[in-house]
Amino acid sequence: MSGAETPETQDIEALRQRSIAAAEDAIRLASSRPDLHLVQAIQALDDTDKFLNITATRASEWYGLHFPELSQMVQDNVALCKIIFEIGGRGSYSPEALSGRGFTEKKVAAMMEARDRSKGGEISEGDLAKVKSLGALAVQLSALRGVLNDYVESQMKKTAPNVAEVAGATIGARLMAKAGGLDRLAILPASTIQILGAEKALFRSLRTGARPPKHGILFQHQAVHTAPKWQRGKIARTLANKIAIAARVDYYRGSEDATIKAGLDRRLEGIRERYKEPPQRKPERRDRPRRDGRPPRREKFRRR
Amino acid sequence: MSRLLREERLGRTALLTQNLAPGKRVYNEDLVRRGGAEYRTWDPFRSKLAAAIIKGLPDTVVAEGTKVLYLGASTGTTVSHVSDLVGPGGMVIGVEFSPRVAREFVERVARERKNVIPYVADARDPSKYSVARVDLVYCDIAQPDQTEIAIANCTAMLKPGGTLLLVVKARSIDVLKDPEKVFKDEKGKLEGRGFEVLKVFELSPFEKDHALIHALAPR
Repeated sequence: MSGAETPETQDIEALRQRSIAAAEDAIRLASSRPDLHLVQAIQALDDTDKFLNITATRASEWYGLHFPELSQMVQDNVALCKIIFEIGGRGSYSPEALSGRGFTEKKVAAMMEARDRSKGGEISEGDLAKVKSLGALAVQLSALRGVLNDYVESQMKKTAPNVAEVAGATIGARLMAKAGGLDRLAILPASTIQILGAEKALFRSLRTGARPPKHGILFQHQAVHTAPKWQRGKIARTLANKIAIAARVDYYRGSEDATIKAGLDRRLEGIRERYKEPPQRKPERRDRPRRDGRPPRREKFRRR
Repeated sequence: MSRLLREERLGRTALLTQNLAPGKRVYNEDLVRRGGAEYRTWDPFRSKLAAAIIKGLPDTVVAEGTKVLYLGASTGTTVSHVSDLVGPGGMVIGVEFSPRVAREFVERVARERKNVIPYVADARDPSKYSVARVDLVYCDIAQPDQTEIAIANCTAMLKPGGTLLLVVKARSIDVLKDPEKVFKDEKGKLEGRGFEVLKVFELSPFEKDHALIHALAPR
């Protein structure tokens, strides 16, 4: 057998060319889906956040050798980086240079005084240039972060308005990223949505019989993390239910439906009302075998 | 000279396949010359088929001229070696569901190799790519019902008595069940449908909790 040109091999080659063209069409079509761009954007946002933190921390640490008092006085890392980048060494500080940054006159005076009595060492031109570059990078990253955040907000409103309404744009986008797109999120059961992002705890629970996680990414939702501990599981479950419905409406119908959010608010109100008081503690049962005869839970996984 | 070579290196078996697209790499593998032909190294830590061959799967299973249905082509690294093995007279129908990884498969493998026909399709629906009878079905998909999917594809496209190579990912079928038990259960499913299971190759140390089942379809 060889690759000689017979009518049969020509047919196969024609079939192959058609298959390649069809495969490329399918790939192209899949790559233009707006929800996949949204998934990339939210991941870029989370990456940028991390990178921004690292860069700003490094800039402020390095600059701290020269002017340690300043980082105590300016809590916002990005504002600090902006000062590092725009003003530079201690010698360049003046009330004018510090104006227009939202500091009170008193604060500016305190900063000038701190400058005069600073315990920081000298810094060479070369070192300062590097610290300033780091500061500039942090300022840029902060701007990029804003752009990405706005993009996620506006794209979520377009692509998945109901998920954005119920879960919030960033959390909705993170869920979508975990699921692998709006289509995948729309076919996930609510119970899975509830613990997306808590896979480690879930599998630990399956393996060891520890209590299953109540929430994954959903913990970031303010309705969950601001609630008292004993309500969080119930709230996360309700929230996941509504997000599952919202994702399906977004994917299959594609129109806004205000009743989902209204229903959620009503259910949340009901939970807060009904479970106002913490539950009665069950009597201590540590160090006693469990009902099915297995040894007691290990300390780490025990019920609190 | 055979399209598959084994060489002993530092007490380990290395595999080489004769490059069907000479001068071209698929995934930065090494290209070497042996007996006037170009060969590509085939890493058992990256390819479960290579691991199975090192663990004792006979070379003759993927022989020159074989027509193969390959489910779960992914980025096409293993497909490219199967394409090397079956040679110009053979054929590989490669099916991949995820457009993201299929992009690399189509670009680096299907476009470069005349014996590879790519499909971006769901292996649950063989009618989308059922274009020929094949001699061998290779199935490496991470789905809880992967064995049923493989059987459906054999029914649709495998010739009677043809070969099924089924990669069993114990962790995709049931995270909690003992892998040995999963392998046994999947083997039982095949036998229940009239397949003759020749051998189950456990793929450690190359892959954890994976096995490759070598079976023959009912006649």
